[in-house]
Amino acid sequence: MKMTPVLLIVAALLIFWVSTFLAVLLPAVTVSDRPSPARQGVQWSADVAAGHDLYNRNGCSYCHSQFVRAIDWEGQRLAQSGDYAGMEPIILGTERTGPDLSQEGGLHPDDWHAAHFVNPRHTRPLSIMPSWEFLGDTAVRQLTAYMQSEGGRDADAHVQDQRDYHAQALGAYRAGPDRNVRWLHDNVPAVWRDMPNPYPATESARERGKAVYLQFCVNCHGLVGDGQGSAAKFLDPPPLNFTTLRRNLAQGKYIGGIFYYQIMNGVTGTAMPYFKRELESEKIWAVSNYLAVQFLGYTDATLEPRGIPAAGEPAWKNSYTAPTTGPAREGAP
Amino acid sequence: MPAMPTTDRPRFSAALAFLVAGGVWFLVAGLYGLAGAVHLMAPEFFNNIPWLVFGRTRPVHVNTMLFGFVAGSLMGAALHYVPALLRAKLWSPRLAWVSFWLWQAAVLSGPVTFAFGITQAREYTEYIWPVDVCVVLAVGTLIVNLLMTLARRGESGLYVSVWYVVGAMLWTAALYPIGNIMWRPQTGAVPGILDSIILWFYGHNVVGLLLTPLALAAVYFIVPRITKTPLYSHTLSLIGFFSLAAIYSHIGGHHILQAPIPNWLRTLSVVDSVAMIVPVTVVLVNVWMTARGRLGMLWNDPAGRFILVGTFWYLITCVQGPLQSLPSVQKVTHFTNWTIGHAHIAVLGFAGFIAIGALWHVVPNLTGRRIYSRRLISLQFGLAMFGLVGFFLVLTAAGLVQGQAWQRGETVYRALPSIAPYMILRAMLGVSILASAAVGLYNLLMTVHRGEPIENTLAQEVQA
Ligand code: HEC
Ligand code: HEC
Ligand code: HEM
Ligand code: HEM
Repeated sequence: MKMTPVLLIVAALLIFWVSTFLAVLLPAVTVSDRPSPARQGVQWSADVAAGHDLYNRNGCSYCHSQFVRAIDWEGQRLAQSGDYAGMEPIILGTERTGPDLSQEGGLHPDDWHAAHFVNPRHTRPLSIMPSWEFLGDTAVRQLTAYMQSEGGRDADAHVQDQRDYHAQALGAYRAGPDRNVRWLHDNVPAVWRDMPNPYPATESARERGKAVYLQFCVNCHGLVGDGQGSAAKFLDPPPLNFTTLRRNLAQGKYIGGIFYYQIMNGVTGTAMPYFKRELESEKIWAVSNYLAVQFLGYTDATLEPRGIPAAGEPAWKNSYTAPTTGPAREGAP
Repeated sequence: MPAMPTTDRPRFSAALAFLVAGGVWFLVAGLYGLAGAVHLMAPEFFNNIPWLVFGRTRPVHVNTMLFGFVAGSLMGAALHYVPALLRAKLWSPRLAWVSFWLWQAAVLSGPVTFAFGITQAREYTEYIWPVDVCVVLAVGTLIVNLLMTLARRGESGLYVSVWYVVGAMLWTAALYPIGNIMWRPQTGAVPGILDSIILWFYGHNVVGLLLTPLALAAVYFIVPRITKTPLYSHTLSLIGFFSLAAIYSHIGGHHILQAPIPNWLRTLSVVDSVAMIVPVTVVLVNVWMTARGRLGMLWNDPAGRFILVGTFWYLITCVQGPLQSLPSVQKVTHFTNWTIGHAHIAVLGFAGFIAIGALWHVVPNLTGRRIYSRRLISLQFGLAMFGLVGFFLVLTAAGLVQGQAWQRGETVYRALPSIAPYMILRAMLGVSILASAAVGLYNLLMTVHRGEPIENTLAQEVQA
């Protein structure tokens, strides 16, 4: 076969258009743009639309994806084609330098986002996300609004939860440190409240706990546990000052179970995120022991009630005595 | 064996301008790449500097490399060798300059607009609408110029390289407006999931129907000239050309395999990604058989070395490509730095190396001067090779670490410390690639200004 200009041009274009027919036109006529249940009836406010625009213009999409896959551990449900109905442009993303954001709505309260956007290291000490402080307060608010809309109707329900609990948390915080702790602890299921940390607070366990603390908690709760980390100025209520817990031990001696539960579950409505996905149970117990020893000067590790010790556990005797200040009184400093 | 025509007093042509600009863009885009790499290593290094924030530098890096350095250089070389192969003068050198300025204006818009958040944001279609118009006009004027040159050719047969160059331009002229949704200037997108399907049809074809054919055209042109052997097989050339166009063009779905797209499109993308083995093997067999027994001649020629090694990168890219199209592999590799590794061996190793090779092959003819320093070319090669092999290893490793951590259920945040060492190494290796770009540009500028004039090119050509 001899190549002639006519053959070249005609054949090259013909083949191209056949491919385009297959890969573009066929999808264009067959793929429906019907909204998925999560997307049905969702109307974007001006702030959300502006936030979406900021998301695109600042290249968030190069680090974040917008769909949850069958193999993912993150997200609550699989992405469906109708999740994107009417959105323009949708940028699904090809890299996950940061986590998927398609179901971000309601995962954190607005104040967490404010701190995080100004400098992600505020809430995530090892984050490599850029600081977006230079965009200004309005942009941060709009980005936050967009983040809270991610997930459609499911997100709206989650955001509402955040708002409701936020009101409660703020009320408790304004009522003073002890009332605040009582509110926090009253929301911990009873079985966890009278539970000690089952694992010894050996030096190596506390070292491991410290490593976790530095990687996940330090910029909120602060190096000395006083809640004055760099994020504090953005957060309302601010991160808990752990030293106020000394006079608020359950039954005057238990704190391990409360710590575990709060760290695992987070405190919805406040900036305290859950760590159930990030930290295995041993790490949560270790950081609980670290908090207790380091900031309360007391741990309930290995107190009764206890079961059969885990295999290979080091011999360790708890020589800490519970603070004698007794149960907190209303309004005590 | 195609012959190179000679002009007695070469003027500074649009072809040369494309090549010089390509060298500049390589360096500029490399700086942006390095800024991105530094960010991923130390996120507060350029803290709160709007035009250096990662989300804005990354598209500058990618688009400037793709369109400015690789595509630009390859088009520049083509503007020189296509008329040569047709035994004709370029129809209109002035129109070629028009194409040049339109193209460079488009590329320049990257650093100017993206850095300030002015972008259409979809990957590889970031250029805003007026810039899209520049690109289409640049390609359109090149097509007119090529076809008019074709019409006035002195050589009746069309050599393979000509097919590829004409094909690349025709395809790009059709592809670019579709991919950029140019009929919707406000967003440059269509609503819903269809947008991503069109985007990746396009994104995939930017490398498949623009960079790949331009690079293969250069390979087909240069290899027989250096080895002084005729092309191995006309039939293989035909099969390679048409199968590339037929298969590569409709498998873009493999970029969004795990997204909610129709199942038939997934199947089509995966099956025909594997079928890509055909066009790739056919071309490589054809080229390597042409050079059989004479690979040493390629290796010892400063331009030939880049071309030869570029064909090996093509092989590696296109073994990796079908592999990573398989759903079971993407489970681990998708969303990770593995893909970034693939992108660099493909765009730099394959298309970029061949662009550099093409540059050094045609520059003596374009300038009428000998290359300023062959040792600097060796240095340029060594630096690029060191950086790129390192990139490939480091990014692939980082990708596997990420992918496997996520599969175990670890969060993205938890896996960050595990990839930190790789990000440091990548930034360091990037310096090597950047140095390669700088050495190359210096050598090119010195050649243009100070290269020893070639006294009698015609006589040499006749001997050759
Ligand atoms: C360099 C890549 C990068 C860019 C660009 C980037 N991010 Fe991130 N992002 C990350 C990383 C890494 C994390 C995980 C650590 C953290 O939470 O900071 C993250 C986390 C987040 C989270 C928290 C998710 C969660 O629930 O834990 C949000 C929300 C977010 N990014 C939004 C954005 C927005 C909006 C933009 C654009 C303005 C953006 N990101 C740009 C890398 C990036
Ligand atoms: C983004 C900031 C932030 C981060 C990060 C954070 N916390 Fe918190 N934490 C808070 C806030 C806010 C509260 C609740 C304050 C309130 O309601 O008064 C809280 C409450 C707690 C409580 C509840 C104590 C109780 O007695 O009920 C514990 C325990 C705790 N944090 C531990 C941790 C640990 C351990 C980490 C790291 C693994 C961590 N936090 C990370 C902000 C943070
Ligand atoms: C100078 C050295 C270089 C450095 C430091 C560098 C760095 C980077 C970085 C940091 C990214 C973003 C990765 C991410 O999002 O995680 C990137 C992407 C990319 N780079 Fe480079 N790069 C360099 C050279 C090159 C060259 C020479 C080319 C092509 C000729 C190139 C082509 C690309 C492409 C196509 C992408 C996009 C990859 C994708 O989206 O999958 N880079 N590079
Ligand atoms: C046999 C041929 C090829 C196949 C089957 C193939 C396949 C793929 C696949 C499946 C991806 C997506 C990976 C993922 O996101 O998980 C990808 C990405 C990519 N490929 Fe290839 N590839 C091939 C050849 C090439 C060539 C020749 C080039 C360049 C000249 C190239 C450049 C790229 C780039 C730049 C990306 C990154 C896209 C992005 O995510 O931004 N590929 N390839």
